[in-house]
Amino acid sequence: MSNQILDEELRDCFQELSNVAVGRAADLLARLLNTFVIMPIPVVNLLERAELSMALSSIEDAESVSAVCQGFTGSKIAGEALLIFNDASFTDMAELTHYTGEITKQIELELLMDISNILIGACLKGLAEQLDVRFSQGQPYLLGQHLNISELLKKNTTTWQRLLTIEIPYKLEGHQVNCDLLLLFTEDSLPVLRNKVSYLME
Amino acid sequence: MNQPHTEFSEFHWLVEVLQTVDIGIVVLDMEYNITAWNSFIENNSGVDSADALGRNIFDVFDDLSEQWFKHKAETVTQLRNRAFTTWEQRPYVFKFKNTRPVTGVTDYMYQNTTFIPVANSAGDVENLAIIVYDVTDTATSKIELGEVNDQLALMSRTDGLTQMLNRGYWEDLLAKEFLRQQRNPREHSLIMLDIDHFKNINDTYGHQVGDDVIRAVAKVILDNLRATDFSGRYGGEEFSLVLIDSDQQNSFQLAERLRKKIEQTAVPLPDGEVFVTVSLGVAGWKPEMSEYAQWIEQADQALYESKRNGRNRTSLAP
Amino acid sequence: MSLPLLVVDDSSFARKQVIKALPKGWDVEISQASHGQEALELISQGKGEVVLLDLTMPVMDGYGVLESIRARDLPAVVIVISGDIQPEAEARVKKLGALAFVKKPLNTENLLTVLNDFGLYSE
Repeated sequence: MSNQILDEELRDCFQELSNVAVGRAADLLARLLNTFVIMPIPVVNLLERAELSMALSSIEDAESVSAVCQGFTGSKIAGEALLIFNDASFTDMAELTHYTGEITKQIELELLMDISNILIGACLKGLAEQLDVRFSQGQPYLLGQHLNISELLKKNTTTWQRLLTIEIPYKLEGHQVNCDLLLLFTEDSLPVLRNKVSYLME
Repeated sequence: MNQPHTEFSEFHWLVEVLQTVDIGIVVLDMEYNITAWNSFIENNSGVDSADALGRNIFDVFDDLSEQWFKHKAETVTQLRNRAFTTWEQRPYVFKFKNTRPVTGVTDYMYQNTTFIPVANSAGDVENLAIIVYDVTDTATSKIELGEVNDQLALMSRTDGLTQMLNRGYWEDLLAKEFLRQQRNPREHSLIMLDIDHFKNINDTYGHQVGDDVIRAVAKVILDNLRATDFSGRYGGEEFSLVLIDSDQQNSFQLAERLRKKIEQTAVPLPDGEVFVTVSLGVAGWKPEMSEYAQWIEQADQALYESKRNGRNRTSLAP
Repeated sequence: MSLPLLVVDDSSFARKQVIKALPKGWDVEISQASHGQEALELISQGKGEVVLLDLTMPVMDGYGVLESIRARDLPAVVIVISGDIQPEAEARVKKLGALAFVKKPLNTENLLTVLNDFGLYSE
């Protein structure tokens, strides 16, 4: 199944499915933080592994970021979710969670995990329900703290050549909080996804 | 075989599996009382399942942070969303002694955990399950690897002779600062500094003294910069400095201060001492610069100007 | 005469789903728009007496459409259909004059109930 292209109809459908999933995640985040989440428009792409950094359109290369990733799999669909958090966001995040002490690396990690649990969990659940599948999630893994994007991606090479990527740039209204959720599906998942989606498009 | 018997035997082997697996399972009710507890937890905590059931989790583990734990648990049960914790965030949730006398290198078991909301048949969340994974091996090897990597990273960032940043890393920082400038411009300046007639020193007194001179100049620079400024060893006897929130005029003053201090710094010789002078070029950041190399270039030209006008002086970029 | 109905969503898949969910015997003339600006043009041409409006869209989002309808006093009745299920989102669009809020993924019965409740369609 190499040389696949993502036709417009399929891309559009994934975007809409993601949009609904993102809405659920946004709702949970808004409830956790008692704030309003500006609904992002998900960006769907089919990318080569080497182009991954380009997918991260909302985070500039020189910015310092921290990231968590978490694998998921189910019904022959598999991939990884990557949550990339702009380090400049931690001050506001701490404020939103009513944390008052000094923001150490440890506190940042705690905040990062709280957010990733919600955004990754709810997004995957939302997608899975619409596709009528169930994903099991692996343990999350800290990719790194205080790195720039190229350092982050350099450290983590995968064997997958081509990936279906869904980028979801979250922002909170009135706060300097910026994070990017990236859902990456393996090339092997594409035929299954295509199949599932075709039922919905009928 | 009749139906109840089949159900019973199924229940029996399910429990058997839960008891045997090498992961911990704790189930709590909404008041944080223990409703289930498998062998893994029993064996590692030293508390029998019979003694644990019905007790409050915070009574059994008195060093478990109630505030932290309840925050996690409430998020999970209220939002009906799983939560994961990693050893990097919190080495352990439940404090278990490391049980390996030979291979154990840590005092406690490192843990990853998963918090899972458990709904009853009506769909209401009535229990919370916590799955505990022993990740001591992964954690210890990653910590050791991390320490080695930190050392390597530090080594690859600093110049061995002067303990200043090396050129590569200094340029990385400059590149980042330059990008920040383009978004949010402030008055920063760049100084290039070169030791005058350094070749003569090497030729006259030998490389050992040459190295001492470089170290002495670097020390004057490091001692006189603010914490926000960053300096690097740009080349053999050439140094580069970025001054944050310091316009060209202020930076000129600092450059002159450095020049005078270096002029007065004696570098000891086996029989006596030697003095050196330096030439400097100062360039403030300008909005029309499109890449950081142009900034270095301007400071370099000012430095060249100082050399041409007789050395031991500071020049400003036009 | 058929009722001019406008379906606004940046996703053509989502527009199809909305159209599929409309009651079979409803006498409507359907137009479609993929963003807010396009929607406003069609509304001012009289093609959207009833508007089924998505919120999250490029160019101009659903909030922008509601604001313009109010500012220009356009004759359109708006039902928002959105994946943004934050209670605050619903409150905001109602404040901006939307008649009702229907959550995505779209459920045929929910849409029918809303259409019935506001007397836009009755079986």
